[in-house]
Amino acid sequence: MKQSGRKFIAGLAAGAVMAFGVVQAGLADDVTSIAVLVPEQGTDFGWNQQGVDAARAVAEMHDLEFMPAEGLGYGDVRPTLRELAEEGASLMIAHASGYNTAAPEIAAETGVPVAIVDSPDAIQEGLVADYTLHGHEGAWLAGAMAAMMSRSGTVGIVVSGEPPSWNSQSAGFAMGARATNPDINIIYAVIGPAAYGDVAGGRRVTETVIAAGADIIFGQGNGSSFGMIQAVETTAAADGDKVWFIDVIGDKTSQAASHLLSSVLWNMVPVYSAMVEDLKAGTFGTVGYKIQLADDSVQLLKTDNIPDDVWTSIMAKRDEILSGMMIDLITDAQEVRALMTSIDIGEG
Amino acid sequence: MDGLLSEAFIASLFFGAVTAGVPLLLAGLGEQVSEKAGVLNIGLEGMMLAGAFAGFATAYATESFLAGFCAGILAGMAVSLIMAVLCVVLGMNQIVVGIAITLGAEGITALLHHVLYSRSYPRLSRVETWTIPGLADIPYVGQAFFDRNVLIYLAFALTFFMIWVFRRTQAGLNLQAAGDAPAALDAAGVSVTVTRFASVLVTGCLGGLGGAYMATVGGGLFLPFMTGGAGFIAIVLAMLARGNPLWILFGAFLFGASLALTTALQVVGVNIPTDVIQMLPFAMVIVVLLLFARHSYLPPALGLPYQRGAR
Repeated sequence: MKQSGRKFIAGLAAGAVMAFGVVQAGLADDVTSIAVLVPEQGTDFGWNQQGVDAARAVAEMHDLEFMPAEGLGYGDVRPTLRELAEEGASLMIAHASGYNTAAPEIAAETGVPVAIVDSPDAIQEGLVADYTLHGHEGAWLAGAMAAMMSRSGTVGIVVSGEPPSWNSQSAGFAMGARATNPDINIIYAVIGPAAYGDVAGGRRVTETVIAAGADIIFGQGNGSSFGMIQAVETTAAADGDKVWFIDVIGDKTSQAASHLLSSVLWNMVPVYSAMVEDLKAGTFGTVGYKIQLADDSVQLLKTDNIPDDVWTSIMAKRDEILSGMMIDLITDAQEVRALMTSIDIGEG
Repeated sequence: MDGLLSEAFIASLFFGAVTAGVPLLLAGLGEQVSEKAGVLNIGLEGMMLAGAFAGFATAYATESFLAGFCAGILAGMAVSLIMAVLCVVLGMNQIVVGIAITLGAEGITALLHHVLYSRSYPRLSRVETWTIPGLADIPYVGQAFFDRNVLIYLAFALTFFMIWVFRRTQAGLNLQAAGDAPAALDAAGVSVTVTRFASVLVTGCLGGLGGAYMATVGGGLFLPFMTGGAGFIAIVLAMLARGNPLWILFGAFLFGASLALTTALQVVGVNIPTDVIQMLPFAMVIVVLLLFARHSYLPPALGLPYQRGAR
């Protein structure tokens, strides 16, 4: 009985080792498809579109099946994650901070690796990776440009939420503006706690910021960006002239050419590609991923509305960053607000 | 920062408060009608969304805001027709049907947006306004209240019209009876089904108009899910106001003013966490209405289907 017990334990151990090996081999080799889940349609010229387009490009690069799930909203995406896992997804990219709870749960349940955003502490080797992206270097350049071009000496930042990625860009913008013009006023307004699709709110808040004197708006929002654009197109600055808009992530030139000054462009292809390579190498979930000026995964959009001398100056500043000038990475909302022009009435 | 609290800035806050309050006012008044008649219209969010899409699509195609408002009304009524048939005629569960209507409207409008506008994101031009001479020049508030689109004036007027209907007309009495004592209304020879059916259509009409306003005047474009829960806030306003249209007016503009205040506090740089600031609209409306509207009542038959002779 004792001997048969030992045999049983030995067999169990051998089986476990074999199973582990099979799983590891599966993780290391069998990457056949890539799924991406986005809250809005991947046609928003911003966060959603960049995510979907990048995943599609990476699927083509690595000869993977592409499995997009768009327009999922900001609610519970567990059923969609389970469905994609059942359909054979090798990697599921949960491309919204609102999916950070559900995606790791489903990864643990199904064994299918997931990538999430804004949760660097949630990574698990082989199962959960984080790609909290920061375009703060590009935002710094955008802030510098705004400070050079503002007629009123007041610029505005309008955001539809305060995730780390956007906080770092708000901070970068403010620091770039302040470094270029120490006397500049910087107005900061959040539309709502998670007002990513709040078009009317985006328009209302942006109109108020313009009324407060801003003639350049740095806007960070998914769908709500269109409300901000609507505001700059229909509201004149205090001097009666045009209000400029600086966008993030995507290129909305085709949508707002007359008022779009620039955009902090993100390219997520290197990030998703690195995830696939890490998955193949068995190192998924061990490192974070980043975008930066150095490899052009962060760029500043050049539009016809930027004067040549301003662009030349901005490119010179870009070279300084590439040569080693450090741009602080600030992701805490309280620290971001501390960078703005403010009337301090006490501790928050 | 001296120039920050300028007349233009403060005027923009009043302007924003009115802009944010009007959809809630319209939808809340609509909800109040069906609640008075005993129908809890949880599908209001879906009706607003349908109105928003139809309103925007029509205004964009015809370049007429008025046509957009009419389309919003029709779309809202079309959706409310489903609610009326299923809940009033067939006596199905009002909450279940209402949720299904909202989910269905979200899906359909998102699909239509994807097919029609997701590559172009068209936007409307600046809205036409009616300027009231003299009043529009009042400092701070003139532009917010007296240089606006005609729908805003109508929304204000509608509040007082509803008070008159509820208090002075046979239709108002019938609505009240359909919610309070439907059997008595039936015994008096008035059809409870017709009364409730009509009330749900009115809710759809005003909810759709509120959605159309949000997409045309408020945002100037349509996006999926853009009502963002406004329909549910309007339901809460209607329930807390408990039959009095003036409380809807007050609650809607208190909410709008609170939203404007959240922006103002941020713009002037008050050092309070944004999350706390963003709670203000919800907290203020609930506290004020609970304090001052608590003596009103909800119709005893609210949410209950009516069947002649049933006990």
